[in-house]
Amino acid sequence: MRNYENLVIVKPTLTAEEIQSSIKAIEEVITSNGGEIATTDSMGMRKLAYPIEKNERGYFHVIYYSVAPSAITEIERKFRINEELLRFVTIKYDTNREIKAWNGLVEKAQKKAATPAKTEAAPVVESEATTEAPVATEAPVVEAPAATEAAAE
Amino acid sequence: MAEKRKYKKRFCKYCESKVDFMDYKEVGALRFSLSERYKIMPRRLTGNCKRHQDMISVVIKRARAAALVPYTVTRKQVITQPFENLR
Repeated sequence: MRNYENLVIVKPTLTAEEIQSSIKAIEEVITSNGGEIATTDSMGMRKLAYPIEKNERGYFHVIYYSVAPSAITEIERKFRINEELLRFVTIKYDTNREIKAWNGLVEKAQKKAATPAKTEAAPVVESEATTEAPVATEAPVVEAPAATEAAAE
Repeated sequence: MAEKRKYKKRFCKYCESKVDFMDYKEVGALRFSLSERYKIMPRRLTGNCKRHQDMISVVIKRARAAALVPYTVTRKQVITQPFENLR
């Protein structure tokens, strides 16, 4: 198992529910290929630095997960087929230094996702964010996008 | 003998703050090594050490692929919004 991070940009033309469902589908691609999602971080609707397929904006979503290296080609192939995705960037965290940074990033994203409920952050991180993380982060993941939508409106 | 130094003694800004890992999503931190046309600044101008220059160039290229930082800007874009989105 190796640690990875995926940034996906979803088309801005979809409605809020469609964006959420497509993100769910993306996460399912990872889990169905044996990946364990540590945490997710939605950066929300942002302006793109340059137009992609004539879109000026995009919905940014970051997924931290660990998966066997051989599954990455399959995950990326699925992403390429998906027409709701404007762009995806897969980053590998391999060396000790990078794994440390990955743990730090996961911790930061979890804190951001669950700012009101700070209690679960500490034990999850100590268990290397692999075993408990998918269960623990499921609830805030659903809540966080809803909160951002409310803020956007 | 009293030959005046033309430039300040250069030092690596990243070594100073002991940067070990750079995240491509923190776009504001990349500004230091980008020119106003979003080119990667050369080491001889920024004073970065080799190690950190290698790190920052990889990180900037990742941020470009993720549409967080533009590859280039035309003259029109430079005038209308210089570094507008990097804050």
